[in-house]
Amino acid sequence: MIIIGEKINGSIPSVAKAIEERNADWIRDLAKKQADAGATYIDVCASVDEDKEVEVLHWLIDLVQEVTDVPIAVDSPSPDSILGALPFCNKPGLVNSVSGEGDKIAKIFPVIADTKWECVALCCDDTGIPKSAADRLRVFDHIMEEAKKYNIDPSRLHIDPLVEMLCTTDDAMANLAEVMTKIKEQYPTIHITGAVSNISFNLPYRKIVNLCFMVLAMNAGLDSAIFDPLNRDLIGAVYATEALLGMDDYCMEYITAYREELFGPVKS
Amino acid sequence: MSKIEELAQAVETGKAKIVPQLVQEALDEGIDPMEILNKGMIDAMGVVGEKFKNNEIFVPEMLVAARAMKKGVDVVKPHLGAGNSATIGKMVMGTVAGDLHDIGKNLVIMMIESAGFEVVDLGVDVPIEKFLEAAADPDVNIVGCSALLTTTMPSLRDTVAALNKAPNRSQFKIMVGGAPITQEFADEIGADCYTDDAAAAAEAAKKLVQG
Repeated sequence: MIIIGEKINGSIPSVAKAIEERNADWIRDLAKKQADAGATYIDVCASVDEDKEVEVLHWLIDLVQEVTDVPIAVDSPSPDSILGALPFCNKPGLVNSVSGEGDKIAKIFPVIADTKWECVALCCDDTGIPKSAADRLRVFDHIMEEAKKYNIDPSRLHIDPLVEMLCTTDDAMANLAEVMTKIKEQYPTIHITGAVSNISFNLPYRKIVNLCFMVLAMNAGLDSAIFDPLNRDLIGAVYATEALLGMDDYCMEYITAYREELFGPVKS
Repeated sequence: MSKIEELAQAVETGKAKIVPQLVQEALDEGIDPMEILNKGMIDAMGVVGEKFKNNEIFVPEMLVAARAMKKGVDVVKPHLGAGNSATIGKMVMGTVAGDLHDIGKNLVIMMIESAGFEVVDLGVDVPIEKFLEAAADPDVNIVGCSALLTTTMPSLRDTVAALNKAPNRSQFKIMVGGAPITQEFADEIGADCYTDDAAAAAEAAKKLVQG
């Protein structure tokens, strides 16, 4: 599982405060903890006005890189801010994100075309979030046409079929599973990602919903996800599910992660 | 770290790709093949068994270690001289008639092979006659019988009773095991040895042929 650590995000009030106060230690600590918990990427999202977004991203990226080699996921709704922040990264990471909206693809794809940068692509476009699985797949087809134009291999793309809240759409999971399965059938090496906690918005005791979602989504092909790697139960569920899906020879990954105390009772 | 220590560590951690390579390197360094087998692999599996007994490692870790050793044995075997046997004994092993379970039996076989035995696997649902036939082989030192169900414990009793009447009974020992089996039951039905896990079975088998 590719784990995109979500904790450094200015839309979280405590992080917004740390950004406001330029509390460097707070940010470094969040980066270190996520790296230690096994994050594949550390997501960095400023959530500030666009005129100062690049500057804040620069500050955040530097802090993360002071404490870990884990690559950065540069997260912004603005393609210009993303492009402004990419040069501050010591090594290629993940662009988060493009979609069928506006000129996002047109701006991002040419820049990352001949690099090792990977890219999250959301299955929405200027009409919003498509309701049906078929419509999302249509947006997906468009994304893949563009990727092909710029020679971006499917294995560098993390397709986000868009996780919506379960409590207002009964068929959220069924729709997602259909999209995921169809995408994987067409492009076996492509990654499928999603913001796990979206599924449980406005429900009580969200963590159990998130956990069960993770299991079902992995069964449908999810192999990359944006979540809090310090959530030990979710990490445990990820390792257990990989083993259950036959992706973990002799359960050795599961056992090793347990031994490294990434999940299970805290001994030390 | 010496080559032998390096090999032992690779076996213990189940590095199936590295083990054959290290065995080859040890052979190239001129180390005695018997030492490679005994010190580099069999002793390492002894450590693995001990760790399993102490709940320090889990079943799959024991399996990968045994798998790694097997790959190493394949490399060293052709180099063992005529006088040096690669095996310390021969065992036949099966799950008794009426019982189809084989995971525990296979685990025991792996560990006993890793302790240096040649093991003949009779499979599952093994009729008494087949046990007797296998035990008639004069090279066999140990006959192992496994039963996983309370309902097949009588079948284990009958099998052991028949083996106890075998004309060459003094040539082999009988080991029994399986989830519902206890030391008490083993004594009652006339088996020579009982252990409650695969690692202990390997230790006990060694003791049976050496002492």
